[in-house]
Amino acid sequence: MVVMKAMGMESDQEVVQMVGRDPRYSALLMPSIEDCAKEGIHKQEQALAYLETKVKRFSFAGASSENDGRVMTVLQDVFLANVEVCQDNFRPKCIYVAVMLRRIMDAILNKDAMDDKDYVGNKRIELSGQLISLLFEDLFKTMIAEVKKAVDNILTKPSRSSRFDFAQCIIKDSITHGLERTLSTGNFNIKRFKMDSKGMTQVLARLSFIGCLGHMTRIKPQFEKTRKVSGPRALQPSQWGMLCPCDTPEGEPCGLIKNLALMTHVTTDEEESPLISLCYCLGVEGLEVLSGEELHTPYSFLVLFNGNILGKHRKPQHFAAAMRKLRRAGKIGEFVSVFVNEKQHCVYIASDGGRVCRPLVIADKGISRVKEHHMLELKAGVRTFDDFLSDGLIEYLDVNEENNSLIALYEEEATTETTHIEIEPLTLLGVIAGLIPYPHHNQSPRNTYQCAMGKQAMGNIAYNQLHRMDSLLYLLVYPQRPLLTTKTIELVGYDKLGAGQNATVAVMSYSGYDIEDAIVMNKASLDRGFGRCIHMKRYCAVNQKYDNNTQDRILRPNRDGFDSGPMRVLDDDGLAAPGEIIRRNDILINKQVPIVTRGQFKSALNDSEFKSVPQRYDGPQGESCVVDKVALCSDKHNNLCFKFVIRHTRRPEVGDKFSSRHGQKGVCGTIVQQEDFPFSERGICPDLIMNPHGFPSRMTVGKMIELLGGKAGVSCGRFHYGSAFGEPGGHADKVEAISETLVRMGFSYDGKDFIYSGITGCPLQAYIFMGPIYYQKLKHMVLDKMHARGSGPRVSLTRQPTEGKARNGGLRVGEMERDCLIAYGASMLLYERLMISSDPFEVQVCRVCGLLGYYNHKLKTGICSSCKNGDNISTMKLPYACKLLIQELQSMNIVPRLKLAEA
Amino acid sequence: MDPQPEPVYYICGDCGMEIPLKPNDVIQCRECGYRILYKKRTRRIVQYEAR
Repeated sequence: MVVMKAMGMESDQEVVQMVGRDPRYSALLMPSIEDCAKEGIHKQEQALAYLETKVKRFSFAGASSENDGRVMTVLQDVFLANVEVCQDNFRPKCIYVAVMLRRIMDAILNKDAMDDKDYVGNKRIELSGQLISLLFEDLFKTMIAEVKKAVDNILTKPSRSSRFDFAQCIIKDSITHGLERTLSTGNFNIKRFKMDSKGMTQVLARLSFIGCLGHMTRIKPQFEKTRKVSGPRALQPSQWGMLCPCDTPEGEPCGLIKNLALMTHVTTDEEESPLISLCYCLGVEGLEVLSGEELHTPYSFLVLFNGNILGKHRKPQHFAAAMRKLRRAGKIGEFVSVFVNEKQHCVYIASDGGRVCRPLVIADKGISRVKEHHMLELKAGVRTFDDFLSDGLIEYLDVNEENNSLIALYEEEATTETTHIEIEPLTLLGVIAGLIPYPHHNQSPRNTYQCAMGKQAMGNIAYNQLHRMDSLLYLLVYPQRPLLTTKTIELVGYDKLGAGQNATVAVMSYSGYDIEDAIVMNKASLDRGFGRCIHMKRYCAVNQKYDNNTQDRILRPNRDGFDSGPMRVLDDDGLAAPGEIIRRNDILINKQVPIVTRGQFKSALNDSEFKSVPQRYDGPQGESCVVDKVALCSDKHNNLCFKFVIRHTRRPEVGDKFSSRHGQKGVCGTIVQQEDFPFSERGICPDLIMNPHGFPSRMTVGKMIELLGGKAGVSCGRFHYGSAFGEPGGHADKVEAISETLVRMGFSYDGKDFIYSGITGCPLQAYIFMGPIYYQKLKHMVLDKMHARGSGPRVSLTRQPTEGKARNGGLRVGEMERDCLIAYGASMLLYERLMISSDPFEVQVCRVCGLLGYYNHKLKTGICSSCKNGDNISTMKLPYACKLLIQELQSMNIVPRLKLAEA
Repeated sequence: MDPQPEPVYYICGDCGMEIPLKPNDVIQCRECGYRILYKKRTRRIVQYEAR
């Protein structure tokens, strides 16, 4: 109330009128009005004076010069900054506050009026372009300010020696450096716009084509991860068609990181002024001509444009229809949304950036505007998607406007009230979930698992994959296109850059090496190239230049001599030659570094002033890799730079990870000779055997249908489809039709085959469910993970074994393992694991004072340094970490004393 | 090392020309000025294992 008065709205009556004359509103406003009267605030000046006492005192002097102006500036610039104040006219702001008050009271009186903050229509997505433009604006303005300062500095000097040159004042590269720094660290810290957020940039994952594509559709929320709240993580009904319901990571960021659906478009900012004037032309009564009383009259709706109140309109439906007509005609931008909110008596018009929207087919009275001939024209290539848009057959709707329309999922389901028809239901999924055949037959978490795994599948990266110099690259040797495809697969080009192979799978138990999702593989299939992959890794070396004019040098290799062995892959220039077979510890580059790299200038160095630092290849032990490419270039600091790409072809081995497209991952359990593999009457022998226990609890019916469809596909020679919810639209083959095909091709309708055992030659008791399923090889391979160690390097601080495979570390007996051993009572094993094999250390302990002493090598006795004698010294073993702890405690003025007893 | 190192040939990443380079030469194609060069394949006979 005081704020209203401070903004010049002195009459209580007018405020109540503006909020609404309903007595319930006035009742809620009453205490506030009474308070105001008690404080004796009746006039604007009084209100301003009252607020002045509430404003936080700023320490700097600038603001305090004009005393009453500060509240005014706060009200003008900070309070509801989106509402403009022209010529001290606070009326728009007052009206805005009144509308806000009304909404608050609505929410108090009626819980249904509460806004949902997880509602997608209330969210905005920030795109890279907006962020970069903000960043650039900040950097540019900073640069201008700095240049101005520098120029002022020069021009104010009384006598200038040289001619004034403006170009010299511009600090070179400040914008470039600013952009580079922000992009490389990902920390957007822009003071001008009060922006400070971390992790805004990510390195695009290039490990697989689909992973790369999926990475570009990812949406990350800005707010802090509030752990306990499930609201923002839950599936929102309003995200239908906009955000993929399947594709989200598991674990901590589950449900927070989302992915765009297939057809989603994120809007960008559009010019406002023409739209505003258009609204006034279409009969919006401006705020200036409205009294407070008229604001909320029934049958008239407030018109809000991008969150600002424009005025009101008496015929909102007419107004909305007119706006939409203009949009369909292409007179205003296609992403402008018009939304009539009946509950709030408002019309929202939005043209701002960051809204998600999607295209839908327009229907008149339930009859689709897209007709047969349009589709024929599309097929003939005469018509494109943009033509559909410009001809008013298809329009983009954002989440708000979707609430004003009745959308039919399929054309047949449209009734007379239907305003729009879904283009295809499969578009509600994202790019990665779109790869799953028959996802609507799977249990939903399985689809989510597949979304996480599809990004790890090996396959093709891009058409230029063999010319790229990625730091790490996984490629499949013979990638295939899936036998059971979806429309999404065709749209995103997964059929051209696939990541997997069609394996003939028999669902049966075999050999016992297939428990817990392990799969049994056919050795002959592996010989034929199933699951074979290429692992390419890049190694870099730099020919460094130093401050004292010296630089590294690369020498011709010793063709004979003691290290001619590891140098055999080197060419005459001291670099490994492409095509050579390279093994672990072979030398990639025969480099020498000058011993002295600082100090005064040196012209020429002789051989003794260099030390040899060859770079060795640290690939897997016992494997032979090939040098694929060697490139020479110069880096940022103009140093000569060498890049080696080492190629390693791997065939699947026991422990490699595979997965179908239904979240059914498993490792290779064993590899069996084809002779021992089961085979059918036609002589078909599966590539891999999967345990049937994988099905009942996972409920991945989609995988079974994939097998059926794939089997029908190979036998009749047509790729079958399994798009999401595609059966009514003809984008997914029905099981009935597949079964018919199978019977026609001489198989059983249920996909089961009569199988002979490969070991005994007898027919198996049961019919076996067998057919092709698309299998992906995932990038987790045993060769990269396998690790064991006996003795090896230790950490110098604690003298315990190092950690991790890269440092040849030990395997830790952790806290829980220790608990098990304690519970079992295996004390000697514990002693051996935690001390003997870790960090045993012999110490001298004084029995009198309990402190650690030392061993005097001359006297050959232990001596206690605090008792100054060696009379009561015992020698004992202790973990070195324990001795370290004792000493560290001592350094903090805590004395731990050891009390020894006979054992 | 030996006084007269014989040049090693490289292939330009842009025009595909063969360029002889000696140690301490600038890494640049003499024909087109492109600054990325690739090493030529080894001349030795290599026998790969096909397993």
